[in-house]
Amino acid sequence: MSTATTPMRFTRELREMCGADYVIEDPARLQPAQILGVTPAVAVEPASAEEIAAVLRFANERDLTVVPAGGFTQQQAGNTPAPIDVLLYTTRLTEVEHYDPGDLTIGIGAGCRVAELSAKVAADGLLFAGDAPLPERATIGGLLATGITGPLRHGYGGLRDYCIGVRFVTGDGRKGKGGGRVVKNVAGFDLMKLLIGSQGRLAIITGASFKLFPAPRQTSTFIAEFATAAEAIQYRNTVLRSPLSPICLELVSPQAEALLPGAERSGKGWSLYLRATGSDAVLARYRSELGAAISREVDGQNEAELWRALQNFSSTLPERSAGSVLISLSLPLADVLPVLNELESVAASDHLAYAVAGAVGVGRLLVGLWPAGQQANLSDAVSAFRERLPRDASAKILHCPQELRRQVAAWAKTPTDFESMKAVKPALDGKDILNRGRFLF
Amino acid sequence: MNLPAVVDDLRRIVGRDAVLDRPEDMMLYEYDAGVRRSTPGAVVFPQTAEQVSEIMRTASAAHIPVVARGAGTGLSSGAISHAGGIVVAFARMNRILEVDVENLRAVVQPGVVNQQLSEYVSHLGLYYAPDPSSQKACTIGGNVAENSGGPHTLLHGVTVNHVTGVEVVLPNGEIVHFGGKAAESYGYDLTGFFVGSEGTIAIATAITVKLLRKPEAVATLLAIFESVDDAARTVAEITAEGITPAALEMLDGWTLRQVEAYCHAGYPLDAGAVLLIELEGLREAVDEQAVAVRGVCLLQKARDVHRAKNEEERALLWKGRKTAFAAVGRVSPSYYTQDGVVPRSKIPAVLQHIGEVSKKYDLIIGNVFHAGDGNLHPLILFDNRDAAQFERVMAASSDILQYCIDVGGTITGEHGVGLEKRDAMPLLFTEEDLAIMTDLRNVFNGHEVLNPGKMLPTPRMCREIAGRSRNAVLAQEGL
Repeated sequence: MSTATTPMRFTRELREMCGADYVIEDPARLQPAQILGVTPAVAVEPASAEEIAAVLRFANERDLTVVPAGGFTQQQAGNTPAPIDVLLYTTRLTEVEHYDPGDLTIGIGAGCRVAELSAKVAADGLLFAGDAPLPERATIGGLLATGITGPLRHGYGGLRDYCIGVRFVTGDGRKGKGGGRVVKNVAGFDLMKLLIGSQGRLAIITGASFKLFPAPRQTSTFIAEFATAAEAIQYRNTVLRSPLSPICLELVSPQAEALLPGAERSGKGWSLYLRATGSDAVLARYRSELGAAISREVDGQNEAELWRALQNFSSTLPERSAGSVLISLSLPLADVLPVLNELESVAASDHLAYAVAGAVGVGRLLVGLWPAGQQANLSDAVSAFRERLPRDASAKILHCPQELRRQVAAWAKTPTDFESMKAVKPALDGKDILNRGRFLF
Repeated sequence: MNLPAVVDDLRRIVGRDAVLDRPEDMMLYEYDAGVRRSTPGAVVFPQTAEQVSEIMRTASAAHIPVVARGAGTGLSSGAISHAGGIVVAFARMNRILEVDVENLRAVVQPGVVNQQLSEYVSHLGLYYAPDPSSQKACTIGGNVAENSGGPHTLLHGVTVNHVTGVEVVLPNGEIVHFGGKAAESYGYDLTGFFVGSEGTIAIATAITVKLLRKPEAVATLLAIFESVDDAARTVAEITAEGITPAALEMLDGWTLRQVEAYCHAGYPLDAGAVLLIELEGLREAVDEQAVAVRGVCLLQKARDVHRAKNEEERALLWKGRKTAFAAVGRVSPSYYTQDGVVPRSKIPAVLQHIGEVSKKYDLIIGNVFHAGDGNLHPLILFDNRDAAQFERVMAASSDILQYCIDVGGTITGEHGVGLEKRDAMPLLFTEEDLAIMTDLRNVFNGHEVLNPGKMLPTPRMCREIAGRSRNAVLAQEGL
């Protein structure tokens, strides 16, 4: 195994593959690209899938570890990596592979920033539903590899629902693809599903195709505030049983609301933020259907800012409180309240504060925990909380203070299909060069 | 391989009455709704995952191929057995195990009939969204294997978008669980990878699916056009209006006349084409969209747009669509169905091309398809006693598929690859793409005990097919 102290022995070849301008050896430029304290020996910026394949084949020959990177918005998640020989940016792969607004699909290079893609299709009255945090930095490849979603998850589904094709290079340096560029396609294995959320462990995504949606022409956000989480969840159930179909349905805890911009807020209650789209008549129906529970309605610029803040919640919280642990949860709907109750009890007994936000109508929660006093015990609390998660829950740590890393494993419960997952890895990355040590096993 | 000894083992596992192996019984299992046939050696009817596990262990040890079978409605010969192989039929694993209203999930055995699930949860105001045209007969296990679609996938997505967890039996007999009741589970999405794997990596024994709340309002519109071209252009114009219908189906003039003669759905006999458009959601939204869609249709020269006045009229319009294949079956000894997909904007062009193919090969081709998705179903008529005509059918079919690929589409939108389109896979995928898929299959099914020879062509086959007839290759493989 190589170490970060001897980079020179392979940079010459990397320069030949990617061009000298696209091999970064300057420590001053590498330092900011460290991952949980591990600084890569060298970084490369290949221009194409072919160049990526060449780098990965070379890495296999030399047994070099490779970490794929996009906008560096989610790199601090997961376990501490093994020494990183090559950090591989996909940010030069920004080509539009296919786009005809009439098709409601687009194919794009993995390095394209999420905000650029969204802006491009918005100009044609379309919506790209992948509202990742920090969209100006986050790339399409990173979005897919981490499987991260935002508030639009409620109304438009997850990446697995609207990613219709993927191009990639496997860890062993083979160029491959799954799906295509049409909205319905069952030819071959669904490799989109396999790679979404695979955390760059199996392959480096080089491009993808997506279903797009007609952009909402008018929206409004209705906010209901409750004294307790239980009442908020009860209201969620009322909304889910109603004929309404909002595009977002976000739960916001008192401490989370304090992190959001906007006018008058009590900051005392649990809120549900419901974003609806439709004509005046449709929005009027929402108003009457939602009734007295609604305390505020926001639209226009304030509404846009509010949702941008909720979209960025997972990055805002660690910025405000570096000592916090941030956990992303996916739960069956009925497990949300019991999990919130556990959180409350764990926080109380270990002297912690917490904030919660998430697309609660589809069982997604972001939970931030941080010390609220001298006797606080964050690592015990996190361990206890995760041990008590129900059977079908899954959890991962998105952010964790460096000093807690040793005590807190990045992945909560072992998935039931852990052995199968383990078996898949060698089929695409036999030498375990991609993101070694960082995710799951 | 020693089949009689294995049959004895199978009887020990599932009981004497749950194994068939007499030749006359095998004849019932030698086909599905595709055009190929192959005779299995035995058919076994398990009742539990443990029995499926023991069956797999036994078959793996004896190196006898196994294929899972639901209702046999598949159109790609995916459920056809390897000659002398074992069919695991799920007719006795047809229970709805759990309806979890709070979580909006149901857990079902693979033999549950698609429509029965929706009927079972209907009194709760819920339903299961994927609705293949064969939903009265086809099973959810088969739907999962093929990642089946249906008219309403335009808004709601195909089967994979509605499956959150599966219990599967691997070829070595191990019972494992992928996913669960949560919308997503962290780690590799093996649930999503399994759906649509056409029985080539594992056999599902329990499936967790989403249940959706029935919409408050539904509007079903029948738009009548003088020409296929006008109808085709309307499809793109509707989405350009910012409207995503729940379903958007097209029948061309020839097909709608067969349908009308068969079930009197109320389609006008002199039309060039009709669009069947369904909108669903909040009452206010549906009414507005219905007005907007009507406007778009009239602007694109629709002769008339008729909105179903009640549930009875709606059901009749849908009956026409869903029985179209049966209606065509009445007027032709045989027909061959295609399942190619094109980008939506290419629908007018591809329909024009199909018209030219029909003339060029002197064949009648009807079109009834999921226009909103660009998912074509040209029905090519033939008489299976006429070998020369069948050759023309195959040539016409390849021509249409190639066109779909050339304009950025694919070879199958919902019927699966199976045997039918296995040899067309290299038109879409490179040898390296296919090698990656084969490696992934081999992680689970390395000895190809499960459904051998389906979906993925072997490199050897790709080369050989170039030099010999496909049937000869298939015959040699026992398929």
